[in-house]
Amino acid sequence: MRKYLLKRVFYMILTLFLVATITFFLMKLMPGTPYSNQQKMTAQQIQIMNEQYGLNKPMWLQYLIYLGGMLHGDFGVSFQFSNQPVSYLIASRIGASAQLGFQAMIFGVVLGIIIGAVAAVHRNTWVDTLCTILSIIGKSVPNFVLAVLLQFYIALKLGWFPIADWGGFSYTVLPTIALGVGPLAETARFIRTGMVDVLNSDYIELAKAKGLSRYGIVYHHALRNSLIPLVTLIGPYTVALMTGSMVIENIFSIPGIGEQFVKSILTNDYPTIMGVTMLFSAGLVAVILITDIIYGIIDPRIRLSGSGD
Amino acid sequence: MKLNKFAKLGAVAVLSAVFLAACGSKSASSSSKQVLNWDENAELPTIDLSKATDRVSFDTLNNTNEGLYRLGKDSKIEPGIATKTTVSNNGMKYTFTLRKNAKWSNGDKVTAKDFVYSWQRTVKPSTGSQYAYLFSGIQNADDITAGKKDASTLGVKAEGNYKLVVTLDKKLPYFKLLMGFPSFYPQSQKAVEKYGSKYGTASKYMVYNGPYELTKWTGTNLSWTLKKNNDYWDKKNVKLSAINYKVNKSNTTAYNLYQSGKLDMTYLNAEQAKQMSNSKELVTRRGSSTFYLEYNQTKKEFQNKKIRQAISLVIDRKQYVNKVLGDGSTVAKGLVASGLSKHNGKDFADEAAVKDATATDTAKAKKLWNEGLKELGVKELSFSILSDDTDAGNKTTPFLQSQIEESLPGAKVSVTNVPFKTRLDRSEKGNFDVVVSAWGADFADPISFLDLFTSDNSYNNGKWKNAEYDKLIEASKTTDAGNATKRWNDLVQAEKILMQDQGISPIYQQAQATLVKSKVKGVIYNSSGANYNFKDAYIK
Repeated sequence: MRKYLLKRVFYMILTLFLVATITFFLMKLMPGTPYSNQQKMTAQQIQIMNEQYGLNKPMWLQYLIYLGGMLHGDFGVSFQFSNQPVSYLIASRIGASAQLGFQAMIFGVVLGIIIGAVAAVHRNTWVDTLCTILSIIGKSVPNFVLAVLLQFYIALKLGWFPIADWGGFSYTVLPTIALGVGPLAETARFIRTGMVDVLNSDYIELAKAKGLSRYGIVYHHALRNSLIPLVTLIGPYTVALMTGSMVIENIFSIPGIGEQFVKSILTNDYPTIMGVTMLFSAGLVAVILITDIIYGIIDPRIRLSGSGD
Repeated sequence: MKLNKFAKLGAVAVLSAVFLAACGSKSASSSSKQVLNWDENAELPTIDLSKATDRVSFDTLNNTNEGLYRLGKDSKIEPGIATKTTVSNNGMKYTFTLRKNAKWSNGDKVTAKDFVYSWQRTVKPSTGSQYAYLFSGIQNADDITAGKKDASTLGVKAEGNYKLVVTLDKKLPYFKLLMGFPSFYPQSQKAVEKYGSKYGTASKYMVYNGPYELTKWTGTNLSWTLKKNNDYWDKKNVKLSAINYKVNKSNTTAYNLYQSGKLDMTYLNAEQAKQMSNSKELVTRRGSSTFYLEYNQTKKEFQNKKIRQAISLVIDRKQYVNKVLGDGSTVAKGLVASGLSKHNGKDFADEAAVKDATATDTAKAKKLWNEGLKELGVKELSFSILSDDTDAGNKTTPFLQSQIEESLPGAKVSVTNVPFKTRLDRSEKGNFDVVVSAWGADFADPISFLDLFTSDNSYNNGKWKNAEYDKLIEASKTTDAGNATKRWNDLVQAEKILMQDQGISPIYQQAQATLVKSKVKGVIYNSSGANYNFKDAYIK
C-alpha cells in the first residue's frame, strides 16, 4: 500500500510538471502581449514594458524562473488585475466556486441516486419513463438556459430567492440547482442502469428467496453495488464543478474563478493562466488518486499494490 | 429517525433561505434617497492611476480622485485642484496655482509635489505604465519613458506647495483636456511608499482626494461602493451619499435586477436595446470609438483608389447599424467620432464630412469597380476581410462579404474572425487584405484619431500615404498649434483628404445602450477619457 502510494504521488508530481511545462510553452506561442493597452503602445514601448516584466528574456530562462517561483509558492503577479498576486486572486475567488460546486454535487448526486433508484425499482413502468425523461431533459438542457429560467421565474417573478449576487445561503440556491442538474441526470441514469443489472442478478433472486424485505434488497444489495462505479464519475465531476463554471457564475454574478481561466487566456495574462491551470490539474490528479484509494477500500476486488500484479 | 433528521435539516435550510431572501429585499427597499445603484459589466482591476488601462479603473479614479481640472459636460474644463492657470506666450509653459483647501482622505494636504511625484512615477519605465505615452510632449517625457533620462528631468516642477509649473517640448493644444484625465492626477508619495506593492490593489490601500472615496473593494470582488468624501474641498456640492456598484457580466441578469429595482442603471445588449427602443428610460451613450476598414496598401489592388471607393460605396451602413447591430451604434460620418470635439459650436465630424465618404451608391460603386479592375488588368479580385471574433465582429464580416459579393461583379470575399490580440498582431505585421479596425479617442481632440494615418505612424496598419495629409497634421502641431482656428482647419482638411481618398473606410461609431431610472439626474457622460462623472449627480 505504501509503495503504491509513493509511486502514485511520484506520478502525480510528474504529471503536474508536464502540465506546467506544456502549458508554459503553448501559452507563449499565443500572439499578442499581456498589455491591455497594447493597441496604443508602440513597438518600442512594448519592448520597454517587456524588459520591466522580464518578458524579453529567453523563453527557457523565463520558464526556469517561473518554475523556481512556483516551487516557492510564488505564482507571480496578474496583468489583468494590476499588481495583484495570482495566489491572492485564486484564493479570493475559489471559495465561491468551490462552495457552489460542492453544493451542486451533493444536490445532484443525492437526488440523482434517489431518482435513479426509484426508476430502477419501478423499471418499465410510467415512473421509470418519467424519471428517464427527466434525466434526459436534465442532461440535454444546457445549465445556462435553466439558470436564466430559474432567475426569471423563481427570483424575479416569485421573489423567492435573490436574482443574483453573493451574500449568504439564499444566494446559492438557484445557482446550485442550475449547476446540479447535470450531475443529477448523469447520476440518475448511472444508478438506474447499474441497479437494473444488479436487480436481475442471481444473488438478488437468492435474497428474495431468503425472504428479505424489498427495502432491504434494494438498499443493501442493489443500491450499494451500483454505487461503486459512481465513485469514478463523481471525482472528476466534483473537480470540474468546484473549479467554477463561467456561465453560471456570470449569470448569477458570483465572484468565482470560472471566468478567470477563459479571460486570462484571452488577455495573455501568463501568470494567471499558469496559476489557474495548475490549480485545476492539481485538483484533478489529487481527486483521481483519492478515487482510486476509495475504490480499493469499498470494492475488495481491487487490490492496491505496487508490485505490478 | 435518520429521515426525521434530514427532514429537520431540510426545513431549517428552506426556512433560512426564505428568511435570508426576505432580509435581502428588505435592505434594498429601505435604501435611503441619495444612493445610486450602478451596474458595471467588468471588474475593477486597479486604482493605481499609473497602472490603470481600462474604462472601469478610469471611471472610478475620475470620481474618487481629482486632478487640476474636472471634465464637465461635453468635456468642458471645470475647476479641480487648479484655481488659476497661466500659459506663457509661446504656449510651452503652464503655471497652475493650486487650491489650498484640497486634502487627501488621510488628512494630508494636496500639494504641487503630489503632482510632480505622480507624473514622474508614471513616466518612469520601472513603473510599467501603459499610458506613459500620453505624457509625450511634456519636456523629456519621451526620453524618460525610453530609459534615456532620469524621471527627475521631467518638465514638471513644484514651486512651493501650491504652484505647479509644466514645461513642454512642443505645443500641446489639447493639454488642458489631458489634465482632466486620471493619468495626470496627483498621487501621495506617502501612500505609495506606505502600501508598497499593495498600493492601489484594494480600497484600503489608497488615499483619495476626489468627491467620493472607494470602499468595500477587495481587489477582486464584484461589488464596491463610492462613499461621499467628507474631506473633499467641494463636498457641499456633492449630493449623493453613496454609489453602489455591482458587476453583472450577464446583461439579462442586470436587466432583471433593474426591473426589480435593485439597480438604477443597466447596460443593454443589442437584443434588449431593440426591444426597449421606445422606453423613456433608454439612454444611448455615444462612444468615441470608430470602426473602419483598413486596406493593405502594400498590395497593388488596394493601392487603387477606385477599388477602395467601390468597396466603401456598396456598404449599406444604415442597414448595418439598425438591422444588424441594433445597439444604438450610428453610421460614422468620418474617422473622427461625432460629438468628440467642437469648435465655435460646430462638431468636427460635421465640419469634416465628405459627400460619399460613408454613403451607399451601388451604381457608382460598380462603375468605379470596373474601372479599377481594368486599371489593374484583372477580371476578378479575391480578398479576405479580417475582424475580431466578438459578437459585433462576427456580425460584421458576413454582412460586408454579402454586400460586396452581391454588388461588385468579380469580387470574391473570404472572412476571418480571430481573437482581438491575434487581430492586432496580424494588423501590425501587415498580414491581412482588409481589416476591420477600431480606435477610441483618449481625449476629446480630433488629433487623437488623425495622428494614426500619417505615413510613418506605427498604427497605420494599411500603410496609406499622403504627403498633403502629413503636411497638414504637422502644421497643426507646429506652425498652427497656437491658433485654434487654423489648427482646426488643418485637421478638418486632413480628414477630408483621408476620406476623399478612402485611405480607410469608416463604418460605424460605437454606442452603448443603457436604461437609467428617470429619478437619476446630473450624471455627466463623456465619450472620451474617463466616461462617468458623478460629482453633480443626485436622485430626484
